[in-house]
Amino acid sequence: MSEPIKAPAKPEAKKIPRPLPRPNTYMNTQPFWDAAKNGKLVIQYCKDTGKPQFFPRPVSLANGKRNLEWREVSGKGTVYSYTNTFSAWPGHEDRVPYLVALVELAEGVRILCNLLNVKAEDVKIGMPVKLCWEKLSDDINYPAFEPA
Amino acid sequence: MAKRKDIAVIGYGETKVTLKGGRSSYDLAGKVLEQILNQTGIDKNKIDGLSIAETMSETSNPFWGVYMSEMLGLSPHWMQLNGLGGTSGIGGIARAAAAIRDGLCETVFVVASDAQSSGRNPEQGAQRGEFQYPTGLRGPVGAFGLITQRYRHQYGLDDRALAKLAVTQRNHALMNPNAVDKLQKPLTEADYLNSKYVSEPLRMLDSVMVCDGANGVLVTSTENAKKLGAKKMIHPVGYGEISNFKGAEPLADITISGFSVAGPKALKQAEMTPKDVRMIMPYDDFLIALIITLEDIGFCPKGKGCEFVMNTDLSYKGTLPLNTSGGQISAGQPGLAGGGLNLVEGVRQMFGEAGARQVSDPRNCMVTGIGVIPYGRNWGVSGVLVLEQS
Repeated sequence: MSEPIKAPAKPEAKKIPRPLPRPNTYMNTQPFWDAAKNGKLVIQYCKDTGKPQFFPRPVSLANGKRNLEWREVSGKGTVYSYTNTFSAWPGHEDRVPYLVALVELAEGVRILCNLLNVKAEDVKIGMPVKLCWEKLSDDINYPAFEPA
Repeated sequence: MAKRKDIAVIGYGETKVTLKGGRSSYDLAGKVLEQILNQTGIDKNKIDGLSIAETMSETSNPFWGVYMSEMLGLSPHWMQLNGLGGTSGIGGIARAAAAIRDGLCETVFVVASDAQSSGRNPEQGAQRGEFQYPTGLRGPVGAFGLITQRYRHQYGLDDRALAKLAVTQRNHALMNPNAVDKLQKPLTEADYLNSKYVSEPLRMLDSVMVCDGANGVLVTSTENAKKLGAKKMIHPVGYGEISNFKGAEPLADITISGFSVAGPKALKQAEMTPKDVRMIMPYDDFLIALIITLEDIGFCPKGKGCEFVMNTDLSYKGTLPLNTSGGQISAGQPGLAGGGLNLVEGVRQMFGEAGARQVSDPRNCMVTGIGVIPYGRNWGVSGVLVLEQS
């Protein structure tokens, strides 16, 4: 057998900033980010079946058609599950430990988000939470949740 | 569909799992091919089909499969690239069987090879940039943290059962010379319970360590296997697979996996019940996945997985031997070739070549695969393969 080849040198692990969302890259999500800037959370609804969905899709998950619209939601929900993160995703090192949750909105979808203004030991599954916002940049308001 | 034994697995190969081994996916796959040719005595030119797993290290090359043919000097009449994560190996066998039955090819090299810990990770894109990365969810570790927490809430979770799985697999890895060196040390229940949280309630020792490695099997028709003078053969007799389980249901229970569909399907085809399964090589990226897998396939009722684990001898000497080469969690996860690690161990056991950890009466084996972390749900792909002796 040949000698082991040398792996390509990995770039020096340098600290990257917290990742900012890149609106409108894979889907037309501009309405979501425009609403977020105004403190409103909007999600897609299938106009044919009335069913909500999140994250944004090119078609209705219910019937595969593109008859979709954005509607504002109440911002009320409950914690479906959560995890206390000690090993950070790149760019989040300064936030450790931080809470990531699946929040079930009253409208019937789940959203992956951070839980803010609460200690890990005080979080309970089923706990009522409400929408709050984190300003990540001049253009980006990011939805998060806190105890209701 | 009636059970058939017209397709045969006639050889297997596996590299040692290494951490940042520095060899490419091609080089590692070459090692597996050579092993299989030596083991079976079959001429390379008899291989006219190639089923290959997508990787972390080479998948940014859209021609990865054809490059592999070129590297290995193969001229396949049929090629299949499987982007099913840990299901790519067993899914490759199922697809090879279909292609052979349809006359597209006769003899297929089903290979998975990845130098993930030495290479680069491609960007997966889609919703992740907007709706996942900004939250800091720690990839698979975070996703399984969410699954584990919800599981604990709905059914209770006995940490001793997870510890037992960790220790059982580690004991098996200590008998496996192909396991990664870094994990070649004994593990106790206390070690597991004291392991630090990475994404609480998920511990470090719940998780795989990403490594490099390759594995593969040779698949042909039973008829052709006899013509080729195959020394040993076993048969895939049942297969079930589902991607994006309950993907159109925004409120699907994240503790229930696609194994609830793929498991019964594979067993029905194999004309078996879970009680008939001699040994199981389940995909293990995280220990909680083993609990959910056993439940959803039907080894025990939903929510009783921990009890089942506590009451069952899962060692190679036991009533249901599990991941007898250590699983990925204790042998190391060779990137997206990880699903093949437990597959190859199943074949090795059934060939009676597992040495010190040989299972007695290896009459059949169930192998499972899990792939891909979706947004806020259970895992993305579930596959179940049942192998049986002639």
